[in-house]
Amino acid sequence: MTAPATPADYKSALKPIWCPGCGDYGVVQALYRALRAVGRPPHEIAFISGIGCSSRIPGYTTAYGFNTVHGRALPIAQGVKLANPDLLVIVAGGDGDGFSIGGGHVAHAIRRNVDLTYLVMDNQVYGLTKGQLSPTSPRGLKTVTSPLGSLEAPINPLLTVLAYGAGFVAQATPADMPGMTALIEEAIRYPGFSFVNIQSPCITFGEEEQQLKAHKARMKPLASLGHDPSNQLAALDLARGYGAELHTGVLYRNPHPPPSYDALVRERQAELQRGEPRPRARVLHDCLGA
Amino acid sequence: MIDDLVVGLAGSGGDGVVSAGESLLAAASSQGFYALMTKSFGSQIRGGESSCRVRLSTRKVLNPGGLLDVAVALNWEDFRRFGAELPIGPDTVLIYEARAGPPPADLAPSTRMPAQVICVPLADLAKSSAGTDRAKVTVVLGVLAGWFGLPEEALDGGLRKKFARKGEGLLESNRKALASGIAFATLHPLAAPRALARPAAPGRKMLCDGNEMCAAAAIFSGCEFFGGYPITPSTEVMQILSRELPRYGGVVLQAEDEISGVGAAVGASFAGKKSMTATSGPGMSLKTEVLGLASIAELPLVLLDVQRGGPSTGIPTKPEQADLFQAAFSAHGDVLRPVLAPTSVEDTFPITVEAFNLAEHYQTPVVILSDQEIAQRKETVDPIDVSRLVVLERVRPTPEQLAQGYQRFAETPSGVSPLSHPGMLGGNYLAAGIEHDATGAPTASGAVHAAMNAKRFRKLAPLQERADLFERKGPPDAPLALVSWGSSAGVAREAYARARARGLAVKLLVPTLLYPVAEPVYRAFLASVRAGLVLELSHQGQLYRLLRMFVDLPPGVSSFARSGAQPFRADEVLERLERQAEAIR
Amino acid sequence: MTPVTGIDFERISMCDALDLAVLIEEEARDRYRELAEQLATHDTPEVADFFARMVRIEEHHRTELLERRQTLFGSAPSRVDRSHLFDVEAPEYERARAFMGVRQALETVLAAEVKAHLFFSEALPRVKDPQSKALFEELREEEVQHQAMVKAELARCPDRADDSEAYADDPVAQ
Repeated sequence: MTAPATPADYKSALKPIWCPGCGDYGVVQALYRALRAVGRPPHEIAFISGIGCSSRIPGYTTAYGFNTVHGRALPIAQGVKLANPDLLVIVAGGDGDGFSIGGGHVAHAIRRNVDLTYLVMDNQVYGLTKGQLSPTSPRGLKTVTSPLGSLEAPINPLLTVLAYGAGFVAQATPADMPGMTALIEEAIRYPGFSFVNIQSPCITFGEEEQQLKAHKARMKPLASLGHDPSNQLAALDLARGYGAELHTGVLYRNPHPPPSYDALVRERQAELQRGEPRPRARVLHDCLGA
Repeated sequence: MIDDLVVGLAGSGGDGVVSAGESLLAAASSQGFYALMTKSFGSQIRGGESSCRVRLSTRKVLNPGGLLDVAVALNWEDFRRFGAELPIGPDTVLIYEARAGPPPADLAPSTRMPAQVICVPLADLAKSSAGTDRAKVTVVLGVLAGWFGLPEEALDGGLRKKFARKGEGLLESNRKALASGIAFATLHPLAAPRALARPAAPGRKMLCDGNEMCAAAAIFSGCEFFGGYPITPSTEVMQILSRELPRYGGVVLQAEDEISGVGAAVGASFAGKKSMTATSGPGMSLKTEVLGLASIAELPLVLLDVQRGGPSTGIPTKPEQADLFQAAFSAHGDVLRPVLAPTSVEDTFPITVEAFNLAEHYQTPVVILSDQEIAQRKETVDPIDVSRLVVLERVRPTPEQLAQGYQRFAETPSGVSPLSHPGMLGGNYLAAGIEHDATGAPTASGAVHAAMNAKRFRKLAPLQERADLFERKGPPDAPLALVSWGSSAGVAREAYARARARGLAVKLLVPTLLYPVAEPVYRAFLASVRAGLVLELSHQGQLYRLLRMFVDLPPGVSSFARSGAQPFRADEVLERLERQAEAIR
Repeated sequence: MTPVTGIDFERISMCDALDLAVLIEEEARDRYRELAEQLATHDTPEVADFFARMVRIEEHHRTELLERRQTLFGSAPSRVDRSHLFDVEAPEYERARAFMGVRQALETVLAAEVKAHLFFSEALPRVKDPQSKALFEELREEEVQHQAMVKAELARCPDRADDSEAYADDPVAQ
C-alpha cells in the first residue's frame, strides 16, 4: 500500500459547515498536511471526536471517522487503539468537550499513555450552542450565561495536561500555519499520548482580541525564547502563562518516551499466547473448570 | 429416603457459614448431586452478618428452594436478619448453637415454628475436637453429613480446599471437628431419618456461577474487548475476563468510570472487534447515552446488567428484577435495543452467545439482564454442548462492495448494511451519533431521519418470530398461564411442575427475549388463556406492564410481583395458581 | 513563521524559483477555491462568485509560469513541493465571513497580494542567482500591479462598512 501522494487525498468530499473565518479551517488544512507528511493511508487512520463545532473535523477527512457523543472521544478512542494498535488514532474536540463535560477522562488517558494524538481546538467559548461560557473562558468574560461577567477562573489546559504527566504537550495557532502543521506532525509521531492545544478562535462568538490577527501580534514561538522542550519544569513554568501569553511550539517532549499502554498490552498478549491462538472452546476448561 | 434437601445457615461473617456452604456444595457436586447455593449478606464488607442456603437434589435444581429443611442458627440476631432468605416452617429441623440460648419466642408465628428444634453445643464440640471454637461450622458440616448420609470423604475435599493452603495442622484439626459432628449426629438421630438418595449418575459435576458462565460464554463467542468499571454484583465478570481474555488475544480495560467503560467497548467495536461491557443498575444509567450512540451508529455491543435492588445504590447485594424498563427504554429518541434474560446459571451460557450473535448480526447494542441471584449463586451444571451453539460474525463488505463506492449505511432489504472497520481499504466512512445518510454524511433532513429510523427498526423485525427464545410448556389449550423471567423463572418452573402434578391445566411461558416484545409468540401462547400470573421480583411488575403495552393480555392474567431481596417460593406461587384456577372454573 | 521553509534562497536555481512561483499561485488558487466553496455553503453567493473568479485568475498565472518552466527546463523533476510553503499568496481564512460583501472580499485579496509582495521583498536580498533574482523582482512587481488593480476596483466599490451582520438572522444553535 503506497501512501497517498498529496494532502488532498486526506480531504473528504464533505463541505465544512464551520462559519467562514473560523480557525478550524486552518486546523483541518494543517492536519491534511501533517497526515501526508506522516504518510499513513487514510484507511489506517481512525479519527475520533466528541461533540462541538470542532468535533465535526473527522468528517472532513478521508480517514475512518467517528463523531461520537459529548465529552467521550477519549475513552472511545482508547477502545479503538487497544482493539487495533496498528491504527493511527487521532482524537479531536473543543475545550468544552475535553475540559468540561469530558474533563474526567483526560487524566486517565494520559496516565495510561495510550498512543493517541489529542487535538483540542480551544476557543474559550461554546460555539455550537451559541456563545456560552466555556471551561477556558477568561474570568470576567461576558457571555449569554455570564451576562455580568464570569466569576470563575478558567482551567489551564496546558498546566493540567503537563501535571497529569503527558509526554508531549504543545500549543499552536492557525495564525502560524506552518508551525501548527509541524506541531501536529510531531505530535502524531510521538510514541505515546500527545496533546496539542490549538488556539482556534471562534469568529462568531469569540472575543476580538482572541482572533487570529491578534494572535499574530502576540504569539511567542517557544523556539525563539530558547525553551528546552525536554525540561518539564520549564514547561510547567511556561504553561502557567496560559491566557496571558500565547506561547506556540512544543512545551514538553519526554526525551525518553516510556512504552505506550497499547504496546505493553500487545507485548503481554504475545507472551500469554506464545504465538498459538487459543481455541475458544478451551474456555470451558479455563473459566468453568470443565 | 429424600431426594431434595434445602439447608440454610446464618451467622456473623467471622463464623464462616458461607465457607461451610461452599464445602457442602463442593461435597455434593463431587458426589454427582445437583446442587445450588445462594449467599446473602448484610451491607458491611467485613464483620457483618452473612448467610447462605444450599439446595441438594438428585434431580436438576431449578431454584434455591422455599422453606428450609434444615436451618442452622449460630446466633439469633443474625439468623433473624435473613427472615426472607431463610424461611422456616413446621417441618424445618432447626439447629442452633447452644451458647446462643433457646430460640426467641417470637422467632416465627406459632404456625410456622419448627417441630424439631435441636440445641447443639457446636462451639464446645469444636473446642474439644479441634482445639478452637472457631471450627464450629465444620462441626455443623459433620452433623449434616451424619444426618443426611453425605460421605465424610466428600466433605473432606471441601476442607482440604479451604484449609490445606493454611497449614496441615489446621486441616487436621478441622477433620477432627468434622468427625465430632458426625459422631453427634449418630448419637442424636433425627425423629424421622432423612438420608439422601444416591444420585442417579455419580461423578463430579461442574460448579459455577452466572458471572463465570457469562464471562466464559463471552470468550467462547469471540469477544476480544471488555471495558468496564467495578460494580457489585457484576464485577466478577471483569475480574474473570481480566485473567482469561488476554490469553485469547483480547483486551480488558478497567476504565475510569462507567461511561468510559462502555465508550471504550464501543470504540473497540468500531475498530472491528466483538466487545462487551458489564454493570449493574446505577452503571447502566450512566452508560445510557453511549448506548444510544451504538444504536444510531449501528455498532455491535453486548452489555451485561446484573440487576440488584434499586433505585440508586439500593441493595447492592440482593436480587431484584426492576431494571427491565431501563434496559428496554433508557434512551432518548426512537431506539429498539434487544434485551435478553438468562433464567439460570446454566442458560447464561447460550443466552450470552445469543446476545453476541444478535449484536453482531443486527449491528446493535444488546442487553443481557441477569440478576444478583443468577450472577452470584453457585450451582452444578450439566456439561455444555458447545457443538450445538452457532457463533455469528458481523456482515462485512465484500471486496467487490469495497471497490465500488461502498456506503456504510446503504439501504438493504433486511436493513442490515455491511459494516467495515478501520484498516479495511475502501471501507472508510464517518460513524456518527448525528443522523446521517447512507454514506454516513451528517444530515438534518426529516426524510432521511425517517428512513434511517425505519431501517434501524426493520433490521430487528425478525426478532418477532424468535419463538426459540421462549420456553413453552404445558397443554396448548390450557386456560391458565404462568409467565416468568430471570431468576424468578426457576421458581415458576417448579411451581408449574407441581401444579401439573396436581392436575392443573396450566402452561408455562419463560421468555429469554424480553424486548422487543415478540407479539406473535405471546398472541399464540395467550390464545387459550383466561387467567394467569406474571411472576417477577419488582414492585411494579415490569414485565407485566411491558406486556400490557404490546399485547392484549386477557383480563384474568394478573401480576404477581414484589420488591427484590424477597425471592419467591414455589409453594406460594402454586397457591396463587390454584386460586386462579378456581376463579375460572 | 516564514511562509516558505526548507529552501535556501542563497542557492536557489531558476528552475527551483519557477517551481516555487508555480506552487505559490497554485496555493492561492486552491485557497480561493476553498473560500468560494465556504461562501457558497454559507449563502454568500456574490462573494463566492468573486472568489471563483479569483480561482481562474490565479490558475491563469500558474499556467503562464508553468509554461515558462516547461520551456526552460522541460520535464526536469521538481525539487520543490507544497510542503515547502504555507500561506504565501493565499488569502487568509480569518478574513472570510458569512454574508460578507464584495468590498470585504476585495480587501481580502488585497491583503493576500500585500503578503505576497512582502514575501518576495524579504526573500530577494538573499537570492544570488541572477535569473532567479530577476524572476522574483518580476513577480514582486506583478504583486504591485495586482494591488493597484484591486485598489482600483475598491475605489469603484461603494465605500461602505460591512453591514451584513446588521441584516442577518442570528446564528442558529446546533
